[in-house]
Amino acid sequence: MSAGITFAPTWTETPFTAVHDDARQHAADEALAALVEQYATTLYRVAFSVLRNAHDAEDAVQETFLRVLRHRDELGEVRDHRMWLIRIVWNIVLDRKRRAKTRPETDDIGELARVLPSSGLSAEERAAAAQHHAQMLGLVDKLPTKEREVLVLSAFEELNSVEIAGVLGITESSVRSRLFRARNLMADLLQRRRSTR
Amino acid sequence: MTLFEQDRFRGDAVSQAEETLRVIARLPAPERLVDRVQAGLQAAPRRRLWFRLSPLGFEGWMQSGAMRGLAAACIVVLVVGGGWQMYVRVQPPTPMAVTVPARIGNQGGFSSAGAMRRPDTVNGPVLTHQVRKPVSPANTNAPTASPKKAQQSVKKKHDVPAAVPATR
Repeated sequence: MSAGITFAPTWTETPFTAVHDDARQHAADEALAALVEQYATTLYRVAFSVLRNAHDAEDAVQETFLRVLRHRDELGEVRDHRMWLIRIVWNIVLDRKRRAKTRPETDDIGELARVLPSSGLSAEERAAAAQHHAQMLGLVDKLPTKEREVLVLSAFEELNSVEIAGVLGITESSVRSRLFRARNLMADLLQRRRSTR
Repeated sequence: MTLFEQDRFRGDAVSQAEETLRVIARLPAPERLVDRVQAGLQAAPRRRLWFRLSPLGFEGWMQSGAMRGLAAACIVVLVVGGGWQMYVRVQPPTPMAVTVPARIGNQGGFSSAGAMRRPDTVNGPVLTHQVRKPVSPANTNAPTASPKKAQQSVKKKHDVPAAVPATR
């Protein structure tokens, strides 16, 4: 049988444990700060690709790291921090988008023009580019959810098909077949739009 | 439009859409993003106080045998206490005086109202004329007790003297 345990505050019984806890907590804080420095931009891009709004994307990144803070003691058990964080932010943005279905993201051309890179472009060219991108994104939104998600994630150079499969929780072959279907559907949509003009 | 042109158009269109998605995927993050996230993490509430006060911490409290025993005891107390509460509150109904209904007779509650069963009588033969009994000669000679003698024998039975005790 184990020795009797007294239920007293830590500082009266084992001061070493308290010091050890503080050190461990400090190390976890530092690791979390390093994760923020390293992956905040990637997470922002993933969030923006779904939400299409800069403030919402920032909020999603913030929420992601707050969730990580709550589970910071498990950080040592995570093998691939990048994939783990992308999966968290992906779930957060999908949840947010589901809740804010009423807001039309792709109509916000001004927001798109503001965030798109504008080096060497006149104001008119910038507006035209923003309108073109908004139209393309509008067509992307017409795709079925499964195909759209794969298409959006495939645009990220940082993610290969195995990692996309990891984020979505499907097999790699499913990713490929969905991507194939998404491209075909996208081509059909664009052709239909061209014929109606 | 030929088939080849159609294919080329489809490929161009898809690549346009993918280029748009790629532009979105390469967007630079706002400069203040990292600072904002760091500030948010600093301001976030930390672990609750009572977890920090416990000697084992939140993660390891279940590792102790004593704590596990305590938790098991709590569960047992809850279950037994709940059962006892139910037993106390829901008492079995006390037996009350039951009114026994009046006993019904064998006839199912119906009475005969005093009626008596009278068996049917069979009509016998009807005599058309008087029949005389033939007198047998043997009976005429038999001795008959005279009424006077019979009266005397009855009187003897009743005239027992009271002073004589009954023999045992």
